[in-house]
Amino acid sequence: MKVPALSMAAALLIGTQLAAQQPMFSTRVEAVRVDVLVTDRENGPALLGLGPDDFDVLDNGVPQKVELVSFEQIPLNVILALDLSDSVEGDRLEHLQAASSALINGLEKDDQVALVGFSHVVTLGAALTSDHSKVRQALGDTFASGDTALIDGTFAGMMIGESDVGRGLLIVFSDGVDTASWLTPDKVLDAARRSDVVAYGVVVQSRNKPEFVRELTSATGGRLYEIERTSALDKAFVQVLEEFRQRYLVSYTPRGVEPTGWHRLTVSIKGRRATVRARPGYLAGPVSTPDAALPR
Amino acid sequence: MTPRLSVVTAALLLSGGALGAQVQRQQPIPPAATPVPEISIATDARISRVEFWLKALLDHEQGITDEALKTVASWWGDDLQTMRLDVNALLRLMRSPGTVRFSWQSQNDPKPRDIRYAPAQLQRLRAFACVASGTAREPACATILRQRGLVDDDLLELAIRVQDAQDGDNFVLRRGAMLHTDIAILKPAPTEPRSAAGYSPGSGGYRVLIQDGRQMNLSQTDDHWEIARGLLANIRPADSSRPAPGRDEMVRRWYRATATWMQDAGDHETQHLDRARELFPTDPDILFLSGSQHETYASAAVQSVREGAVLPAGVTIEIGTEARELRQAETFFRRSLAAKIAQPEAHLRLGHVLGELNRHTDAVPELEEAIKSTSEDLLRYFGFLLLGTSQEALGRYDDAQASYERASTLYPTAQSPFLALTELARRRGNRAAALRSMQEVFDLPWSQFQRYDPWWDYDVAQSRHVGDLLKELRQPFLNEARP
Repeated sequence: MKVPALSMAAALLIGTQLAAQQPMFSTRVEAVRVDVLVTDRENGPALLGLGPDDFDVLDNGVPQKVELVSFEQIPLNVILALDLSDSVEGDRLEHLQAASSALINGLEKDDQVALVGFSHVVTLGAALTSDHSKVRQALGDTFASGDTALIDGTFAGMMIGESDVGRGLLIVFSDGVDTASWLTPDKVLDAARRSDVVAYGVVVQSRNKPEFVRELTSATGGRLYEIERTSALDKAFVQVLEEFRQRYLVSYTPRGVEPTGWHRLTVSIKGRRATVRARPGYLAGPVSTPDAALPR
Repeated sequence: MTPRLSVVTAALLLSGGALGAQVQRQQPIPPAATPVPEISIATDARISRVEFWLKALLDHEQGITDEALKTVASWWGDDLQTMRLDVNALLRLMRSPGTVRFSWQSQNDPKPRDIRYAPAQLQRLRAFACVASGTAREPACATILRQRGLVDDDLLELAIRVQDAQDGDNFVLRRGAMLHTDIAILKPAPTEPRSAAGYSPGSGGYRVLIQDGRQMNLSQTDDHWEIARGLLANIRPADSSRPAPGRDEMVRRWYRATATWMQDAGDHETQHLDRARELFPTDPDILFLSGSQHETYASAAVQSVREGAVLPAGVTIEIGTEARELRQAETFFRRSLAAKIAQPEAHLRLGHVLGELNRHTDAVPELEEAIKSTSEDLLRYFGFLLLGTSQEALGRYDDAQASYERASTLYPTAQSPFLALTELARRRGNRAAALRSMQEVFDLPWSQFQRYDPWWDYDVAQSRHVGDLLKELRQPFLNEARP
């Protein structure tokens, strides 16, 4: 959520390995950016052409001055976190591969994409790259086997999103429930609240409610797509990409609020009725005690 | 990895015992008047099946899918049900030779059954009872056995073996239980296709097959476990005229080994350990396994099916909520430790359960005790990982980091400690360290076989000695089969 402090931004520009050598980043919030989707009604068409003066942003109830609104200017970092467990074997895997390819076809030249696969094993199929052919090849090498570490895989995808300053879109696909993760939903949702990455979930409808993915998408301002069958995956993936491209990146420097802890965000459009989809808040700084001031 | 997990219930009991299974037919409302018993009229074929069953006890070689085992395993549905009725009648005759009326009441089917035998059939059963009870030389039996055609040489050999063993009719009960145990464990392929039409109400159990957190199948099954339990329930010590299986070491070993096997195979049956605890209420091993069973029931894989299972009308899954299962697990682990304090694995699992219940302050000393009192890498790995989690939850971040790092040292290719370190660093705001730890996960070998993480097997790790336990159980019965 925080626009990175200078030291971190520099590190990330030249990759993960160097980033790992940097000291702990500043806990001071220099700027906040919020990924926002504005539609004229729930699930209606996106409202385009808005500027900084059109947005009202409240940070913990304190009005903020919006400094910048970007639209379609920053290349995307799309991270595919895909369930490759037993349950995906067969047609489902083929549909998943085809849908991922369709999404990659919709990327711009400067957009980057990465592939994380998870069964009980979490693997990096392809690191973030603008060489889309590498990811296509990695997709072709995927196979389905084992249990489902949905939470671990989601977390790994989120970390990839954070390894680069680009605008992160995490797409999580699963057709089942978590059966093998080490990490817990609470921990990963906590991490999501501290992250800039916007998570979209695509799940196959079942009798089990996809609570974790629902909360993840809600916490990051994304959206959950529940599809009846995996043959509809390609449509859903392309729809996610199209919707994400219609989002605004709203930036402001927080004023009049505490520098750390949970910040409740309210974003609205001045003078008109509109539906705004954005993260409900963000966590700033390290917390001294776990679960401090977290929304439930 | 536990590839498959199933939960099952029995629908019939050979003898008494509480039902507390995961999938259970709901009891119909009992009628006000005493139900009219159903009449079961025996056939000669049924009596011959009892005869074959007795011979199979001699022929079967422990742990082997031999012809004797395959034949008994081929009886299913109503055939197996009537075999249980007739073996039950045989047991009555072994203990009370003068019995002339036989009835049967299943716990899952409230309607009692009267079993009717023709005089010739009853005479054959009496002869079998003489053989199986080791009383062939007693005058009453000698008179019966002198009748031509009632028993053949094979049964006479059984009579001699029973007498030589000097274990009374326990000889047949123990071997019968072992035969049905092997059928349940070895699962020989059915010789003919089976359908629900072959099962009368109450004549089979339901098994839910869970794979990757999804219900894959619901099928009716024959419950050889219940048959084995029913046979062992009749074990009688030498100094007692009444059954007292709770005083029998073989029965204790049987429950311990078979419950461990069930957990290893992910083939869970609550009533198995319910019955074990009735017999051995303070046995630390039985209590430990009871704890780990409920710990597994609290896991995401089982809970997902509890919430979403598709079951026939009148059938329910008797698994509690995650919190309830965890509390039950805690109770059993504490009882196990009260019976025997020196159990690192019980401390470990109690610590895990307490952590899952968000009682981390209580969890830490249990986990520290587990780590301190074992030199087994596997348990120490789990211990450090879980200790790290509780320390992290208590805000002791430096301690948590050290614990995760110790876990990683024990299993360097395991992903869980790196994920834990990543999340911890992320929580502490140290993004560089988080990325570094995450990279460690991504740098692990691609193949799961080259990057083993014991956490994947946590739900079955308590059963890692199952081979030794089965070997110990079978040892007294080995080399006893006829050449």
